[in-house]
Amino acid sequence: MTNLTSETFDQNARAALRDTQLRGALDNLVKTFGERRKEVIKTVDDWEALRNRARQIKDETLAHLDNYLEQFTGNAEKAGATIHWARDGKEVCRIVLDLIDAIDATNVVKSKSMATEEIHLNHALEAEGINPIETDLGEWIIQLANETPSHIVVPAIHKTKGQIAALFVEKTGIEKTDDVDVLTNTARKVLRSRFAEAEVGISGVNFGVAETGTILILENEGNIRLTTSLPKVHIALMGIEKVIPKFADLDVFLKLLPRSGTGQRLTTYQSLITGTKLERDDEGPDEVHIILMDNGRSRMLAHPVTRQSLACIRCGACLNACPVYQQIGGHAYGAVYPGPIGAVITPQLTGLAKTKQLPYASSLCGACREVCPVKIDIPALLLHLRAEIVDGEADGISAETRVKKKFGERAVFLMYSFLWRRSKLYNFGAKLSRFFQKGVVKDGKARSGFASLVPPLGAWTKWRDAPQVAPRTFKEIWKEDLSKRND
Amino acid sequence: MKVALFATCLVDQLCPQVGVSTVEVLRRLGCEIVFDERQTCCGQPAFNTGYRKEAKKFAKRFIEIFEETDAEAIVSPSGSCTAMVKHFHDLFPKEEKWRERAEKIAAKTHEFTSFLVNVLKVENLESSFAGRVTWHDACHGLRELNLRDEPRKLLKNLDGVQFVEMPNADACCGFGGTFSVKYPEISVAILDKKIEAIEKTGADVVVSCDASCLMQIGGRLSRLGSKARPMHIAEVLACQNREQ
Amino acid sequence: MTNTASAKGEILASIRQNLAASRRFDTVYNEHHIPADRVAGSERHDEAIGLLSRFKSNLDAVAGKCQVVHNDREAAVAIQNIVDDLKPLTIAVSDSDIINDLIDRINTDATVLKNASKGELFDCDVGVTTAQWAMAETGTLVLESGRERSRLTSLLPPVHICVLDAKNIRGTMGEILQIIQNDLSRTVTFVTGPSRTSDIELTLAIGVHGPRELYVIVISDETNA
Repeated sequence: MTNLTSETFDQNARAALRDTQLRGALDNLVKTFGERRKEVIKTVDDWEALRNRARQIKDETLAHLDNYLEQFTGNAEKAGATIHWARDGKEVCRIVLDLIDAIDATNVVKSKSMATEEIHLNHALEAEGINPIETDLGEWIIQLANETPSHIVVPAIHKTKGQIAALFVEKTGIEKTDDVDVLTNTARKVLRSRFAEAEVGISGVNFGVAETGTILILENEGNIRLTTSLPKVHIALMGIEKVIPKFADLDVFLKLLPRSGTGQRLTTYQSLITGTKLERDDEGPDEVHIILMDNGRSRMLAHPVTRQSLACIRCGACLNACPVYQQIGGHAYGAVYPGPIGAVITPQLTGLAKTKQLPYASSLCGACREVCPVKIDIPALLLHLRAEIVDGEADGISAETRVKKKFGERAVFLMYSFLWRRSKLYNFGAKLSRFFQKGVVKDGKARSGFASLVPPLGAWTKWRDAPQVAPRTFKEIWKEDLSKRND
Repeated sequence: MKVALFATCLVDQLCPQVGVSTVEVLRRLGCEIVFDERQTCCGQPAFNTGYRKEAKKFAKRFIEIFEETDAEAIVSPSGSCTAMVKHFHDLFPKEEKWRERAEKIAAKTHEFTSFLVNVLKVENLESSFAGRVTWHDACHGLRELNLRDEPRKLLKNLDGVQFVEMPNADACCGFGGTFSVKYPEISVAILDKKIEAIEKTGADVVVSCDASCLMQIGGRLSRLGSKARPMHIAEVLACQNREQ
Repeated sequence: MTNTASAKGEILASIRQNLAASRRFDTVYNEHHIPADRVAGSERHDEAIGLLSRFKSNLDAVAGKCQVVHNDREAAVAIQNIVDDLKPLTIAVSDSDIINDLIDRINTDATVLKNASKGELFDCDVGVTTAQWAMAETGTLVLESGRERSRLTSLLPPVHICVLDAKNIRGTMGEILQIIQNDLSRTVTFVTGPSRTSDIELTLAIGVHGPRELYVIVISDETNA
């Protein structure tokens, strides 16, 4: 079990940086997905317009989320689905267990759902003696390895073919191989036998259409179709932010999500499920249950900056574009959702107290914002959360998320603020630095020992030469030379 | 045109020749430069680290100082500081008057290369620079201010220059302000990818519009003993090949 | 269920409360984040190339195997050829009249199951269905549960043969969504090629849980499409 938490993010990151095999996998991810995305975007004649339209739809939805959820519920129930509402993960787990109990089921199959990871559903089921099997290949791999996903879309990206092969040899008894087709076939065979006996299928939901009560789930492998067609009971977990107003809106998101997520024009299968089957003899489950989950989402509506977090369609493009994620991978974040989106929703879902490193683990480069299909301004969100962490200055989030900041850093910033807003003190400060710097920095390197007294200097100079305060500041040059000339 | 120079604290203290070059280039193009010596910092470090109260104080001071000038434009040789000025309004969500004042100042503030190309409409400075140069797209300049073509046009028009595009020129250098010292290992890991790209170009000079990126990149290049060295675009355009 | 009712009440209340709290920031925020009003982008395509050609080339691009024939007789021949090639032991067919008619015309030693149960389908080698519609822009088949019992026949056997009338091909996803919404089946499935995964080192593997081969036989009575 990858037991890393967000609280040890800095240690996690350092460990990840030393993991050469992980970095190789990440290089491959970045290169492959980066190129595929670039190419596939060209197949749309106005990508920007598509993003704008998607964001508009999301903004409209979120501004009237209660209405759209009620409309969705009404229409889904009319078609025979049972809608459940859950305030948090515990309630979801309770509902799922009750539904499994109600038919005395033991064979539960699951398709990939980040929402179910978020609430640790599998653990809750296992604690009650139910052993759900993950059927998405990547999710099954990490289930076998007793790990957590390291990416929103390709959960086992941190594992090499060799590691996966070894895992399969150990857990399924196949012969040693490094043939991807053989490995994939093994998964097919093993999981197929579980599908044949499956009594309950648990899935996620990509989009819930208010206008018709339809849920849409997309995939490449076919396991979602199996999970939602074969068992008697289908349980779909849907975050409340997944609702969209109109059936026609699906077109916009189906153009954006596959392209952003995996560089495909369209994934192999989309299942559009509206309620239950019409006749008893028809194919499909007897019962369709949709659980609408809050788990901290409604709170994010309280401020326009945080509200956009709910626009996320879980494509993972921001992870692939992020220079930080590219170096450390997903596990280092110590959270279910890694990368840029993870850095902003994890603190909001679980509170800032234990996740306060995450909003700072970014250079604010904005590459994530550039690739986000729904134009979430993640840098603005990060800055909002940083302000929250410092002194709850950013409005909208409750006082309980306020976290006491390190005394030292606050003192430094108060000093900087006091001195540098007074030009005489600022100028004098420059002169002082010039005087003292030779004792601290020589030839660009920090004089060891002394530098450790000034942590930022030590951190800088361990790998980089440090700049010096110039013999004359620009202000001095201006005063003494430049102001006198004017050509 | 009368231009009020916003030198930035980094330029003022660590690389004043950038400021000197900026003034030289603008004067060459017929601008009259005014420099209010009261200026210090735009407050970006405070804003980026979450100290909005302090950032607000810096913003107010900046606005008050620069409101006094009759210059038509405020020009800065820093993409990130210019972006900060353009974000001042974020600091006054409940103060309409200050917000309006911030927006007025933001509207007349320009990054140096953007000012040359988009306001003065100059793409060819009719100067020369011998050397193989490559451009690093500083993140704020690129993504907040949309600077992509302007610096490239200016550089390519230099007589004698060999311009080489580096792979992933728009990838972050890993500085990110306090990020560079809060998470130095990650910062340097990101930086080393940039260094690799620079070395691939065989360039003598890596150019950018942000002194902070150049500090990050330059600091690593010299530590690694690379032949490439950093220069701010103002210096290149002013042909100031001064050694630091 | 009283629990869900109170949860519903609380969640809706929380949503309304938080939206209300946001209102005082919304105006200022929206001033700087003006939503755009451009018409959403569509898939690029060459207008000169017709629906059928586009459908075929897009399907071929995702490892689908598309053949165009001119009539029922040729469709039966096409199925015959595939069956001769694959030598399946069991073939399952959907309840479509067209399919049942075609399958009666072919010669095979395979057992043909016309009303296969779930369990039987697990052991079938080939599943044959039609598709109600198709999208040219992506090479996608559209299966409506209300019009044909094809949900499992198109999914469980490792080979899926699909017969499609060219008249049912539309250009875009948008058009298809409009059409199917008119009389929305309880399950609509969009199928674009055989199943696949890239979960192992991002290496593409065709054929995971869904069919590993998809044959689409398009019946088009136009000589030039």
